Amino acid sequence: MLRQFFASRFWALVRKEISQILRNKQLIILLIIPPTLQLLIYGFALNPDVHHLKLGVVDYAQTADSRELVSALTENQIFDVKTISFSETALAKQVEAGKLNAGIVIPPEFSRYLASNKPTQVQVFIDGVDANTAGIASGYISQIVRQYSLQQLQSATSPPINTQVIFLYNQGLTSSWFFVPGVMGLVITLIGTIVSSITVVREKDTGTLEQLLMTPAKSWEILLAKVVPLFVLLMGDVLLALSIGRVIFGVPFRGNFFLFMALSGLYVFVGIGIGIMLATVCQSQQQVVLTTFFINLPMVQLSGAIAPIETMPKFFQYLSIVNPLSHYIAIVRGILLKGVGLGDLWLHALALAVFAIALLAISTNRFRSQLS
Amino acid sequence: MKRIVSQCIKELAQFRRDRLTLALAFVLPLMTLLIFGFAIRLEAKDIPLVVQDFDRSNLSQRYTERLFATNQFLPVEWQGDAEKALDRSLARAVVIIPPDFSRRIQANKISDVQVLVDGTDANNARVVKNSIKATTQSFLQSENLVPSTASVTPVTRLWFNPGRKESLYIVPGVYAVVLWIFPSLLAAIAMVREKEKGTILQVYASDLSAGELVLGKALAYLAVGLAMATLIMGLGAIIFQLRFAGDPTPLLVGTPLYVGTSVMFGTMLGARTSNQNSAVQGVALVGFLTALLLSGFIYPLSNIPFPLSLVSNVIPARYFIEITRDAYVRGVGWSGVWFSLVMIGVIGMLLFNVARKALSRMQLGG
Repeated sequence: MLRQFFASRFWALVRKEISQILRNKQLIILLIIPPTLQLLIYGFALNPDVHHLKLGVVDYAQTADSRELVSALTENQIFDVKTISFSETALAKQVEAGKLNAGIVIPPEFSRYLASNKPTQVQVFIDGVDANTAGIASGYISQIVRQYSLQQLQSATSPPINTQVIFLYNQGLTSSWFFVPGVMGLVITLIGTIVSSITVVREKDTGTLEQLLMTPAKSWEILLAKVVPLFVLLMGDVLLALSIGRVIFGVPFRGNFFLFMALSGLYVFVGIGIGIMLATVCQSQQQVVLTTFFINLPMVQLSGAIAPIETMPKFFQYLSIVNPLSHYIAIVRGILLKGVGLGDLWLHALALAVFAIALLAISTNRFRSQLS
Repeated sequence: MKRIVSQCIKELAQFRRDRLTLALAFVLPLMTLLIFGFAIRLEAKDIPLVVQDFDRSNLSQRYTERLFATNQFLPVEWQGDAEKALDRSLARAVVIIPPDFSRRIQANKISDVQVLVDGTDANNARVVKNSIKATTQSFLQSENLVPSTASVTPVTRLWFNPGRKESLYIVPGVYAVVLWIFPSLLAAIAMVREKEKGTILQVYASDLSAGELVLGKALAYLAVGLAMATLIMGLGAIIFQLRFAGDPTPLLVGTPLYVGTSVMFGTMLGARTSNQNSAVQGVALVGFLTALLLSGFIYPLSNIPFPLSLVSNVIPARYFIEITRDAYVRGVGWSGVWFSLVMIGVIGMLLFNVARKALSRMQLGG
């Protein structure tokens, strides 16, 4: 049986593909360098934490109370005091020019009013160019000032509702734990589509596909022989991405390893399916480069890899249902961070299976009809 | 000069003939603009939230209503184990109101409300926590359960973008990303095509100098890139209602300079890599990544950690984002952005030199 397999035409074709891939150093580099770089850069550079914002202080009061308020603002390292001055206009200028993220002006009567229990106001300027950071910063400032002001009321008892917040899955709120599983999906998508479309188109480009057709090999054999080595290589990429996530970013792995590999395998088939589909549409390698952009860009951006899906407008949220990558990322986050099993992920898994089968069926059909 | 122009004309003619590339050259930037402009929303809204009210009193119902009145949360029905709702990603947070909630509060005792937050998305988890805490605080104040007049109140003024429209932040950044990726990609493809088809040998053998060749090609794709820029900036102004905040001349000068630098980057890559497309693809990926991630497009530049922050200094997209954001949002003008223009110019010159050297090495002496 085994002997028969190794003597078969199919095995010969597989060997041809493997040796072709191994000889193509650039393909090997493409399989290793971009995924590594992408994971590292995305993981380190995408950092939404709002901290160390540059704060300018104009303290007209110059009392212990006002200094206490400033130190309350800097306590959590959300703000760093960059300048202390006595000129409101200078402060305004610096915020305007983007040199400071925020400025606070404490009025001269600050302590006097506090002592006599009169309400007093502090002015806050925030650079609103970055709307997201500005919103979070302004939220922090009002929260800190409110806390401070409650402390000043001597009679203050603790409020009657005590909200105990527990963060599940990621107690330390490490932001890379969110991005790394997303980027793992992204990497498999990009590399999978590019590598598989290139290997098919190259054969078309150089005309060797016709030669293969002249041999007695059937078209499904030709195609399967192409898919199998690609699948093995891309599963290697899955492991590479997983090890980088585990070793460098310390992302936990709480679920079942075999479930993860099985569902990743499904997704690799999706990537290969898209790649072959592109290859059947395109005439040359240059067109492949541009069309992979055309497919991958919306796929990646609407997958929740970077910006969470629920913050998108409704239309894009519905669109993400037909995006295989968003299902895969939900699976990776589920298995790695939440440690859930197929019982909670079956809907995503089913979607992936449907996509994999449909894409492979359509693309192989197109490929075969182009051959004949 | 004449030779540069005719090289440019030849390049444009070739570009026009490839229908698919031509179509994609204008569809892709447009698609990118729309997707980034509409779909990247960093601010958390419509977060699915489960409130499990075991008290079912008037007070607890008012509390629940107050939580959803913030417009930040979307109610989700869920009975049973709270953690399961998070496991299945049906909700991002669960608020559990205990059965003795109103009784304890009326008896002047402290009632514990448990909040489970899905920490997978650390950024939004923090926002959810702050929002629930702030809502609880304002609920207590409106129910007169805590002293309502805080003695110190902040009067906050948001500069430039008082409505905190996120498109005002994202879209000018998209201009920089799009005008970095696509002109460079097209230029690189054109260069590689010349090598793959072997026509570059004819150029080497001719008396066209490497500098003239590079300039001619760059000029052609500069024209294409500027058409692209006009298209996306025009549509961006219409769709996202961007208006110039101040002096637009830095943008008018900066855009051709930036597109030129982008084209130079592509030409340089095309000139240096061997005749394999996978190489161009690999590097196009890196160009895309750096423009997207090391330019301050999504999150502030100051958040990039040390070794990568050095790299971000040589990313032209970073400087162009400063120019576009200034033109459309900040409005300071030349005094704020002259340095960015200088940096883009310097990087462009450097890239030109690398591309010229790479090609002149191959050229026959003469």
